[in-house]
Amino acid sequence: MESIDEEDVEKHRVHLRPITLRNAAPATLHLLPCEVPANRPAPVERFFTPAIRQGPDGLEVSFRGRRLRGEEVEVPSGLEGYVMVMEEKGEVLVGKQDFSEGSENDEQEQELAEPPEALERDFDRFIGASASFSHFTLWNLETLPGPDAKVRAALTWPSLAAAIHAPVPED
Amino acid sequence: MDLSELERDNTGRCRLNSPVPAVCRKEPCVLGVDEAGRGPVLGPMVYAICYCPLSRLADLEALKVAAALLSLLTYFPDSKTLSESERDRLFAKMEEDRNFVGWALDVLSPNLISTSMLGRVKYNLNSLSHDTAAGLVQYALHQGVNVAQVFVDTVGLPETYQERLQQCFPNIEVTVKAKADALYPVVSAASICAKVARDQAVKNWQFVEKLQDLDIDYGSGYPNDPKTKAWLRKHVEPIFGFPQFVRFSWRTAQSILEKEAEVITWEDSPTEDEEGLGRITSYFSEGPRTRPRLSHRYFQERGLESVTTL
Amino acid sequence: MAGRGDDRDGAGARQHVFLLPEYLKDASKKMKSGLMFVKLVNPCLGEGALYLFNMCLQQLFEIKVFKEKHRSWFINQSVQSGGLLHIATPMDPLFLLLHYLIKADKEGKFQPLDQVVVDDMFPNCILLLKLPELEKLLQHVTEQKEIGKRKYYKYSKEKTLKWLEKKVNQTMAALKTNNINVGARVQSAAFFCGHQVSSHKEEDYIRYAHGLISDYIPKELSDDLSKYLKLPETSASLPNPPSKKVKLSDDPVEAKEDYTKFNTKDWKTEKKNSKMTAAQKALAKVDKSGMKNVLTGYFVAARRQKRDK
Repeated sequence: MESIDEEDVEKHRVHLRPITLRNAAPATLHLLPCEVPANRPAPVERFFTPAIRQGPDGLEVSFRGRRLRGEEVEVPSGLEGYVMVMEEKGEVLVGKQDFSEGSENDEQEQELAEPPEALERDFDRFIGASASFSHFTLWNLETLPGPDAKVRAALTWPSLAAAIHAPVPED
Repeated sequence: MDLSELERDNTGRCRLNSPVPAVCRKEPCVLGVDEAGRGPVLGPMVYAICYCPLSRLADLEALKVAAALLSLLTYFPDSKTLSESERDRLFAKMEEDRNFVGWALDVLSPNLISTSMLGRVKYNLNSLSHDTAAGLVQYALHQGVNVAQVFVDTVGLPETYQERLQQCFPNIEVTVKAKADALYPVVSAASICAKVARDQAVKNWQFVEKLQDLDIDYGSGYPNDPKTKAWLRKHVEPIFGFPQFVRFSWRTAQSILEKEAEVITWEDSPTEDEEGLGRITSYFSEGPRTRPRLSHRYFQERGLESVTTL
Repeated sequence: MAGRGDDRDGAGARQHVFLLPEYLKDASKKMKSGLMFVKLVNPCLGEGALYLFNMCLQQLFEIKVFKEKHRSWFINQSVQSGGLLHIATPMDPLFLLLHYLIKADKEGKFQPLDQVVVDDMFPNCILLLKLPELEKLLQHVTEQKEIGKRKYYKYSKEKTLKWLEKKVNQTMAALKTNNINVGARVQSAAFFCGHQVSSHKEEDYIRYAHGLISDYIPKELSDDLSKYLKLPETSASLPNPPSKKVKLSDDPVEAKEDYTKFNTKDWKTEKKNSKMTAAQKALAKVDKSGMKNVLTGYFVAARRQKRDK
């Protein structure tokens, strides 16, 4: 939980740094079927990745002595996956300073659209994409997630949302 | 013994076997079953069968005493080298008799043992052992071995084990006994096969994980061996626990994890009643703004909620 | 174990896993800033919810989060508890504006938009006014008047219901093409009432679509829409079990159409609206004098509507 004052929540804005969407390097994501009560570095590449096996009908691995079965899930077309990290207050991970050093020199900085008024205020926070992904591995305990996996069902939301929120036809 | 297949992938089970001697297809045979590495918290458990024609049983008698001695040596880690070379010698001798002695092995990786015992439906070590033994006898029959008698070193109560095996193989005379490896030469031979395989598998264990500062001085692998315990403590990782070389289902491993690693909660983890109560009361204590919200079932069925905070 | 696993050990910040429309990446080439998450009032619940604005594309996005018990992420060489997956999808801003238009309609007057879209709790709602073609959009749900160079708006329930019906229709079409199972609830109703399941098919879709749209509008309007669509009332005693095919979490299943939750909110809303801003008061004065002739018709209608309640 971010340590934002509850009183501030409704007022403040969390600015997503646009440049980070372009610079985010591809990441490998696994969605596990268990709660690991930790948010920190973990040697996934040393312990987990090498233990993954391609079984006859899906992926297999074990974690903490339990058998997991998995399959790749594609991010629905039209969407892109990002991992985002909130900047600490006062910290600038990637921002305007870096922007002129960006690799895309064909873009003139003065051409960049900037909203007419200052959208960023002192008390606002910033978030940036640290990585991107187009698929992830979904793991279930002992059985394959299959087409009925809840997260697969959740991923059908964007196409239904598009219909709900599309402008209505004129009379 | 060629365990290269196991070394290629030691995350599951691996069956190895000698060619079936021609005489074993023709003449009625006696078949012995034994295991090695049932107790250790580290490495695989190996099940072995060994068989020969009833007519040649006398030729195996010499193995009996040797096997009894070797099984004793297992508990003295310091004499490991001696016992190992002795075993290898005996196994080599058996290989000389390959025109009338056949064998087959089932190597159960520690990962297979962990995942079986910790499964949603618990598969205990006794059942796993019994099924593996029965599987090997079946395998011998399948290969055309003319099995007439089966002798088994017991796991658990000999009576129930015997009944179970006898049911599987009604046309074979099954005898399950404690210390069968010292009583019946084919069991002694099976015991030697199993131990040679287990020792070799442990010695040449290919860690699945890319471990740094890997210490291979893990002692006997028995839970009460201080060297083994020290090794477990050294190699515990807070998220992943242990390498797959460790049997996670062993109490020794579990208690180290409880102290040194994150507590992982699974869908089938036992939940304490207090936990549920805590959740319900929190709805009342946190005031009206956190009361449960009811969205359309489309969203509920898909685990989708609106976001209130990042 | 104690002390581990929370952010306090400082080793890792919380990582948020998001799905964003991919065109945001291309659009970001032309942007220095203007992508921001803000909290606005959720028009169904009256509570705060997170939305994303793209001020350069002038677009609003709704954020939903996928949440399942016993889930965590491995993200590269790290672990992230919770296993949340956020999904941002474009949202029709009219649903959010409607909340304010209905609130403001308690005044019964035509008002300029910047006096309608005001919120002490969620001041970021003014960002909605920066979205494009609002005037055109608002024609679906308001009567409009231009006085001088200024536009004045008044919520129209009739127009809104027409607009919502179109929303229901396009949602229904999508439910069909996406093969969403809409039937389970009525199947059980059919079982109890002895009706033929097949005869309910079309009604299932309308009801389901109505239910989805109701997640974006206040309860009262949802009821009106239900009548407008001539949806037969469901027996309150019939629960609304989620479809059996979908595996559910262990969470207690609540009746989906228990609207008691709205009572508090409606009360709060009314209380808030009774406060008129200075500008609103000024406009009210103007009404009585100069613009009387122009607006009389509308205010009569408005008063009648008010009395009818």
